[in-house]
Amino acid sequence: MEDFIKDFSIKVEAVLKKLPIKEIAKALNILKAVYERDGRIYIFGNGGSLALATHWVSDFNKTVFSHHLDKHSRRFQAIRVPTTEEELTAWANDVGYDMVFAGPLKNYLQDSDVVIAISDSGNSPNVIKAVELAKSYHVPVIGLSGSDGGKLNQLADVKILVPTEKDEYELAESIHNIILHLMTKYFKDYFDHLVERQNKV
Amino acid sequence: MIITRAPLRVSFVGGGTDLPDFYRRYPGRVISTAIDKFVYLVINRTPLIPKVSARYSVSETVDHPKNLQHTRIRAALLDLGIEKGLEIGSFASLPAKTGLGSSSSFSVALMKGLHAYRGKKIDKKEAAEAACRLEIELVKEPIGKQDQYAAAFGGFNIFQFNSDGTVDIEPILLDYKKQTLLEDHMLIFFTGISRTASSVLTEQKSRIDEHFETYKKMADSVFDFKEKLIKGDIKGMAEILHQGWLHKKSLASNVSNNLIDSLYEAGLKTGAWGGKILGAGGGGCIMFLSPIDKKPAIRLAVNEIAKANNLSDFCEIPVKLVQSGCDIIFNGDI
Repeated sequence: MEDFIKDFSIKVEAVLKKLPIKEIAKALNILKAVYERDGRIYIFGNGGSLALATHWVSDFNKTVFSHHLDKHSRRFQAIRVPTTEEELTAWANDVGYDMVFAGPLKNYLQDSDVVIAISDSGNSPNVIKAVELAKSYHVPVIGLSGSDGGKLNQLADVKILVPTEKDEYELAESIHNIILHLMTKYFKDYFDHLVERQNKV
Repeated sequence: MIITRAPLRVSFVGGGTDLPDFYRRYPGRVISTAIDKFVYLVINRTPLIPKVSARYSVSETVDHPKNLQHTRIRAALLDLGIEKGLEIGSFASLPAKTGLGSSSSFSVALMKGLHAYRGKKIDKKEAAEAACRLEIELVKEPIGKQDQYAAAFGGFNIFQFNSDGTVDIEPILLDYKKQTLLEDHMLIFFTGISRTASSVLTEQKSRIDEHFETYKKMADSVFDFKEKLIKGDIKGMAEILHQGWLHKKSLASNVSNNLIDSLYEAGLKTGAWGGKILGAGGGGCIMFLSPIDKKPAIRLAVNEIAKANNLSDFCEIPVKLVQSGCDIIFNGDI
């Protein structure tokens, strides 16, 4: 039992050491730019990745500003797509499962927005459809993938590939969660810093 | 209606090496950042009014774009074959000709907007190239390419201008601590002296051969500057700016003048580590990097000189670095 746990941690550690740091930095820049132009961030993925997306939205919209909720007239506008289970099932049932993200995304997407797509294989057809839609708008795409990155890593403007063995999705998803939390923490610190700096003047 | 906007920029090192007479022979390089001052462009469809209107510091309405006075709007519409049924208006946070690249920000926002008007979305690189083509090839301005790229891409970048005309973009990945550190040590004043870049660049351009080695040093110093920037070594950056400013002054007789020199000297005397004129020179803005506690003394000293010389438009421009480049911020066309 202990060996299994140790082995797993060793693998996590090894992957963490290979994080694509420059790409993550580029993602932070893209998120800062979307904030400046008051655009929206759409995030999606399948299964556990959809859970990561929902979790991140709550952190990014609220936790980032939680130390000074009344100090910032503008906050992030992160939205999980689709926003309701009803839309998800309606698109899946009526049109096809490959349209569950691209379908609802098309209702919202504007030139000033950003898309974050999560897919461990990088090849989920519904994720790729939505990414292709975003690309056709020249909307920046941040792609979080695992394994060899698949199509998502080829298409994304920011290629956050967590290099794992094929089917090691537990690892990829865990690290994706860390990266998403890193984004939240970065902006939380940034906005705290701006308020502290303002208070000094 | 379509609304686009593009940021102005502060250029630190390498200005002038983006001119073809230099970069055809040696890679030109510029390091610059976008700032929180923008040019906004509004393009409105008027299908029931068969005219073309351009609204900027003046308002023009004509039957055909060839009759427009505004050179860039005229050239862009003629080039794209847009003949009637639209109004174009521009708005900006700062006046023109301040040395912050606003005329190219205008061109980038215009080209991005006009392409969207025709139903085509163009990316950052395409927007930069379209603006360069408009200004350099169609309007025949004797200017370089750094401002169009800075406005289109946004953020802090090194642009490298290659001999084949291509441009490489290297984003500098600065965290918020370094960004705010730089903002806190930066002082920018509009001298109140407006000038077009072309008036300065025409002389500078004709003497590139003579100063080729100086340009090379300027192009190469971006790497040094980047290194200091990443370390947060503001004093080191200021020293490079100071050297760069001395180089730049030697390139053409009209880059500086007695008044600019005295403003710059006053800044150094009261504690600035270094600085430069922003833009081609001859006027525009003056920037200092200084210890935070010296800022009040510098403000006082330069304001006194401005007052004594009747520079009624002289003022400080507070600046923050921004990441956003040229964006379509509203597209109401269906």
